[in-house]
Amino acid sequence: MSDETILLGAVAYDAKVVTIWEGIRDHFNQNGAPMDFVLFSNYERQVELLLKGHIDVAWNTPLAHVRVQQQTDNRSISLGTRDSDQDFHSRVVVRNDSGIESIKDLEGKTLAVGSRDSTQARILPLHFLRAEGVELTKVNLLKFDTDVGKHGDTGTSEIDVLEAVADGRAQAGTVGDLIWVNEQSAGHVDANLIRSLWTTPPFDHCMFDVLPDLDAGKIERFKKALFGMTWDVPEHRRLLELEGLKVWMPPREDGYNSLRDALASPTP
Amino acid sequence: MQNENAALAIDGGDLALGAGLLALIRPALDLLEPGGVLAVNSVNQALRDDLPRWCQLQHHEYRERQKTDQDYDRHLIARGSLSVPLGERESGITLPQHEGHISAEDVLNSIPMPEHADPTSGFAPRGARVEPGGPRYPFSLLDREHVAPPEVAKLYDQAIAAQWNANTDIPWDKTPKLPDAIERALGQVFTFLAENELSALYLPSKFISRIHPSYVETAMFLSTQMADEARHIDVFLKRARAGGGGLGVSSATTSQSLLSLLELEDFTEAAFLLSVLGEGTFLDLLTFIEDHAPDEVTAEVVRRARNDEARHVHFGLVHVRHALVHDESLYSRLEAAVRRRAATLSNVGGAPEPLQDGLTVLAAGSTTAKAIGRGHDAFRELLHTMHESRVKRLEHAGFTVEQAQTLSDLHTPNFM
Repeated sequence: MSDETILLGAVAYDAKVVTIWEGIRDHFNQNGAPMDFVLFSNYERQVELLLKGHIDVAWNTPLAHVRVQQQTDNRSISLGTRDSDQDFHSRVVVRNDSGIESIKDLEGKTLAVGSRDSTQARILPLHFLRAEGVELTKVNLLKFDTDVGKHGDTGTSEIDVLEAVADGRAQAGTVGDLIWVNEQSAGHVDANLIRSLWTTPPFDHCMFDVLPDLDAGKIERFKKALFGMTWDVPEHRRLLELEGLKVWMPPREDGYNSLRDALASPTP
Repeated sequence: MQNENAALAIDGGDLALGAGLLALIRPALDLLEPGGVLAVNSVNQALRDDLPRWCQLQHHEYRERQKTDQDYDRHLIARGSLSVPLGERESGITLPQHEGHISAEDVLNSIPMPEHADPTSGFAPRGARVEPGGPRYPFSLLDREHVAPPEVAKLYDQAIAAQWNANTDIPWDKTPKLPDAIERALGQVFTFLAENELSALYLPSKFISRIHPSYVETAMFLSTQMADEARHIDVFLKRARAGGGGLGVSSATTSQSLLSLLELEDFTEAAFLLSVLGEGTFLDLLTFIEDHAPDEVTAEVVRRARNDEARHVHFGLVHVRHALVHDESLYSRLEAAVRRRAATLSNVGGAPEPLQDGLTVLAAGSTTAKAIGRGHDAFRELLHTMHESRVKRLEHAGFTVEQAQTLSDLHTPNFM
């Protein structure tokens, strides 16, 4: 393997991850950016090996992204993100028969929340609720800590949350709006039973991270091949659909401020 | 109303995004060009957050939410430019009817075939708008002039109207008890016919999956041809056994000849060799059997089969004639195909012997020496008739007299 090859890390949260990265690897290899990938079972290991320089690029969740920045004194370089990663929101959804009319009414009620490392289903919705004056100690949290280490990628805990609200184990729940809108579009949500009560402020999601001393040529080749993927090319489109985006976007950092604050003062 | 900014408006009432509203929004956006603006009026407050996110995920542009003087929101959505189907939506096509019928020919006249077809349109029916970005299909028959003669839909209509039932349309109850020698001769002849019809069932099936769906009428016609062949195989084998004759011999030369048909890879060459030369020759064979049929069941079986075969020959003729007009190199390719096949069959001296004997006995009607002599003359006459008809058919397909003579002489002695 030549030194030219970019070694990328991603977390295997689903079988399709193999298909996605084999396809993207082939695209990169055919477009002047020799690339190979390593799959991790959790983001903690991926971040650790990025920091040790064992991989060149990490495809990170927001939580992993912020941790990389914190551990490199903000010197890490962000390369790109998905259109669907920008302006993410979380939702508080409620049962229509719960009597909950405002987020303050959550006190005394059961609120289903996702995995403890899910930015959209647990960390940020609780952070924003607290910032709005909800006393979380008075809320009965029903926690679905599934797929810990995957940072909420599988969406399993969000589906658990929606099911718990639908079957009455909880009066309310927190989910990301990607799941919320997609589950509605797919006809999986009974609008007679559940509605969205509140929307958090926006935040951003996944990011490609590299260390500041990575070879500049690798960075340039990576960006050129990444942003060369377009929706109208059938081979690209298949991969983009699998990865859940239509357009790769340049990085931006403001969208992670709320997560940095949340990590500085953790919620339950 | 504040309608000045929107090309279209829909009333969403209190529907939530997941409660059916998208079934109003998506078709409405589909009527707009990229950039065209749709107004969604709604009293559902959850849409204030759900619609912008949905638009982002679908790459439409959420412009703004306007407050109205009434108590509802007016959301403005500009259609995005991704996933926009190509072409214009069909409109103004109302299919004509004749006495309450709508024919495939009328459909073809209303929605003509394109000259060339795009393999990335997949199984999209002709006339549908195709969303870009679909995969490339392995269709290789992409040119109208090589695939679809103008008469194809009309022939399909005729084929559908002429379908019959191998169980109930043959007077099986009139099967007589024939002398053993005649029964065995019938069994041999029908064994040969069924074997050849099997090849005629299999060969078109190879090409259907290569035909671009823009030329679906050709695939539809071939499917009727295959249904015809299936029925022929059915009735031929039934007749061979209905009177106790049983099946005869499958000759190695027949097998060799039919393999050289099955191995064809060019659609026009296959249509030419199978339908024009092979099935064309079969028309004379079936007429011969009907003329000398020892009973009305046999006569009805081959008469009905010949009507179907005539349609296949007609399709083969118009296919080849149409292609010859549009492709000057085609004659030499067809001649080369016939020569290649003749070369692989150079060891085949004549019609398979068991078949020759079967046809001779059938034409004789008995096994007395005198009758057999007559039967043999009739068989020799059949070979002559086959050659004469082939030459006529080839001239009809667009070949010169000399070309027709050459091709007919080279045709397999196995008939098919």
